[in-house]
Amino acid sequence: MKNRIASILLTTLVLAVLVCIPLVSGRFTVYLAMRVMLLGIFAVGYNLLLGQTGLLSFGHGAFYAAGAYGMGFFWLHLSPHPLLGIAAGILAAALLALLIGFFCVRHTEIYFAMLTLAFGMMVFSLIWNVRGITGGDDGLVGIMRDPITFFGLVKIPIQKDTQYYYLILSLFVLAVWVVRRIRISPFGLVLAGIRENTRRMEFAGVSVRNYRLAVFVLSGAFAGLAGSLEAMLESNARPFMAHWTHSGDPILVSLLGGLHTLTGPLVGSLIFVAMREIVQRFTENWMLWFGVVLLVIIMGFRGGVVGVVRQLAEKARGPRGG
Amino acid sequence: MFIWLVASGLTLIFGVLGVLNFAHGSFYMLGAYFCFTVLRHLGANFWIGLLLGPLFVCAVGYVVERFFLRRVYHLALPYQLLLTFAFVLIFDNLVKIVWGAGSLSPPKLDIFGGAVPILGRKFPAYNLFIIAVGPLVALGLGLMIDKTWWGRIIRAASSDREMASALGVRVPVLFTSVFVFGCWLGAIGGGLAAPYVGIMTPGMGETIIIEAFIVAVIGGLGSLKGAFLGALIIGVLSAFGTRYFPTFDMFLIFILMAAVLLWRPQGLFGGAR
Amino acid sequence: MGKILLETRKLSNSFGRICTARDLDLGFEEGVLASIIGPNGAGKSTLVNLLTGHLPVQSGGILFQGRDITRLPIHKRVRLGVCRSFQIVNIFPQLTVFQNVMIPVLARTGRSWRPFAKISGENAVHREVEDLLEKVGLGGVRESVAVALSHGDQRLLEVGVALAAMPVLLFLDEPTAGMNPVERVRLLESIRDLSRGGRTTFVLIEHDMDIVFSLSERIIVLHRGEVIGDGTPEEIRANDRVREVYLGDEMTDVFRITEGE
Repeated sequence: MKNRIASILLTTLVLAVLVCIPLVSGRFTVYLAMRVMLLGIFAVGYNLLLGQTGLLSFGHGAFYAAGAYGMGFFWLHLSPHPLLGIAAGILAAALLALLIGFFCVRHTEIYFAMLTLAFGMMVFSLIWNVRGITGGDDGLVGIMRDPITFFGLVKIPIQKDTQYYYLILSLFVLAVWVVRRIRISPFGLVLAGIRENTRRMEFAGVSVRNYRLAVFVLSGAFAGLAGSLEAMLESNARPFMAHWTHSGDPILVSLLGGLHTLTGPLVGSLIFVAMREIVQRFTENWMLWFGVVLLVIIMGFRGGVVGVVRQLAEKARGPRGG
Repeated sequence: MFIWLVASGLTLIFGVLGVLNFAHGSFYMLGAYFCFTVLRHLGANFWIGLLLGPLFVCAVGYVVERFFLRRVYHLALPYQLLLTFAFVLIFDNLVKIVWGAGSLSPPKLDIFGGAVPILGRKFPAYNLFIIAVGPLVALGLGLMIDKTWWGRIIRAASSDREMASALGVRVPVLFTSVFVFGCWLGAIGGGLAAPYVGIMTPGMGETIIIEAFIVAVIGGLGSLKGAFLGALIIGVLSAFGTRYFPTFDMFLIFILMAAVLLWRPQGLFGGAR
Repeated sequence: MGKILLETRKLSNSFGRICTARDLDLGFEEGVLASIIGPNGAGKSTLVNLLTGHLPVQSGGILFQGRDITRLPIHKRVRLGVCRSFQIVNIFPQLTVFQNVMIPVLARTGRSWRPFAKISGENAVHREVEDLLEKVGLGGVRESVAVALSHGDQRLLEVGVALAAMPVLLFLDEPTAGMNPVERVRLLESIRDLSRGGRTTFVLIEHDMDIVFSLSERIIVLHRGEVIGDGTPEEIRANDRVREVYLGDEMTDVFRITEGE
């Protein structure tokens, strides 16, 4: 019981802080907070695939890009309505994930990782090369944030960063809530089982391939959401989003925070962005320190930051009987 | 041909240890930088540089395997990959710190004295040297794997780790030696590549690793023959592609990789893995 | 003669030049607790692997309740009711005992595809899992993480997870390997009770002759991929070919004891 109250309090606190940020901080902090949340959405959805199901994909940047470009094309050619644009981005990402996933999920571990890498880079080079449609290296530009309208009655402006912040925040909270529900659902338990012992899952009567495809598409959709939100934030969609090094971000971040937890990817995103900003002031080689941190975590603290915090919290609570 | 050297190290490490060494590109880069430093500071000639430089890299590789990689063999794939990736970050940035972030030019080499006329066109002698080195190394490796005692143990250990251990092979030592040897191959590749390419940058590791990776996959992870052939295929395709489909060559290469993975995951020559 | 659940038609398999199954024609009857025995390398595990889908069939056919399941993937065979437990404990290590058993139940009752339901709300499933855990004797450790259990308990869990799929025909691959006598008796009692209960037909693969002869109603003896004996325990005891094959093995002790009576 104590645990539940503690976590509810903590969640409320964090939410309160998030809500207050635009009111008390400067523009740059607001921007940073938005980037943290975008990375958080990307990572928390991705972690359903990696931490929960045990599948390592190096191609999720492709879905992020699909979300961004999907949203971009929708805005440029169809309609300026932001929510519909986001939906278009998510749909584009999910469809692409369905297509790519279909080929990839029948293979395991290493081959799965390499296939996703290959497909991801194919998407990257495709976007990069088809200059006429996608704008090539420059990407799509000029995506503006039009106000959100509901049947012409309500008009919510999101042009200013501080206003857009709240849209991102709401979708962020929604995304995290969805992932949480999935984790505690029967579906989530099956995913964990697939991670723990794939062979046994077959013998439990589970069609492992279908579940893998489902979670692949799901995590792709989250990537698409993050991508379309970034497209509106930066007014631009770039091919680099599909590059494998970008696909590596949610992996690093989830590991950093804690692979098997819900909050791990979120904490990881925060640390990642914070480190990048702060350490960059002192040295150009912040990546070096990031590499060291990563090394330390893999060698000794595989539960990630959240894992370490939990261990400390348990020690602080003192030994319980027996 | 440099891709072949790097790919051979990569595929060897994967075949025996089962680890995909992301950091292999970094060893390639370190090879180039170390060779260059030896040349600069010891004023020695190219061959000595080529001899000593990779040895330093081997030392680095030894530390990496012995103290870090060895501890994570029993863990799941993501951890191993991320460990090697962490080293990529560390090495790339260390290089930036020690040698500067800009590009460096290795000293001009006159060992082979300029161009050699063949079939009416002039080829830089160095290029011919490189082209010759490739098959030579391949031959050497092949002989080593087939004929020597060490080679036999490698083959045994890669097909059945537990059995080899039960038979008295000291698997950890074997793994270390294979890893270090793989690093040596990569480093030699770097040392040879630097004069050819003309410049060295801290980013050279990243570009080569993906290419080496693709080559290894297409040829079959774990198969040296495959890597060699893969490098040839990719080399030819690249040249072909750049002439006729200038913007799509990357795309084609990745399609080939995906196709191989889908229909023949063992690659062209790999065994059942 | 009861209903034939599973039958094989000229089932054959070989690894290279080693023939692990040679033209096997077997039938498994409903309700008859059978055991498959044979010296090491006889092909017992291969047979089970072929029947349950772990190993693809090279030649021959397998019919289950009249349906051809030769090419059916593993999870579909399980859904039809053919299941197995493993010789080496093959459970979900980081999940709790309760979760381990819950997974097959969820899959079987079709409740596994719901991403928005809460596990805590699945009351019917909870009751079933409790039931199963009681039957195998793991009621007391339901919240323990599987990897932390004693070896004996892990083996019980192994059987429990297999049972959770409510199979019609269940192959137990050396279920008591490594257990101490107390645990062994407990498990065997459970198997006997469940077998009498009628829902599941058990087929054991065993090395321990005491278990085999005391529990089974039918014994199949394999040797080098062929059936060299198939019948009641008494028939097998009297079978000359079987004794020949087992010469020098513990089985001859069994023969000597019964002969001396």
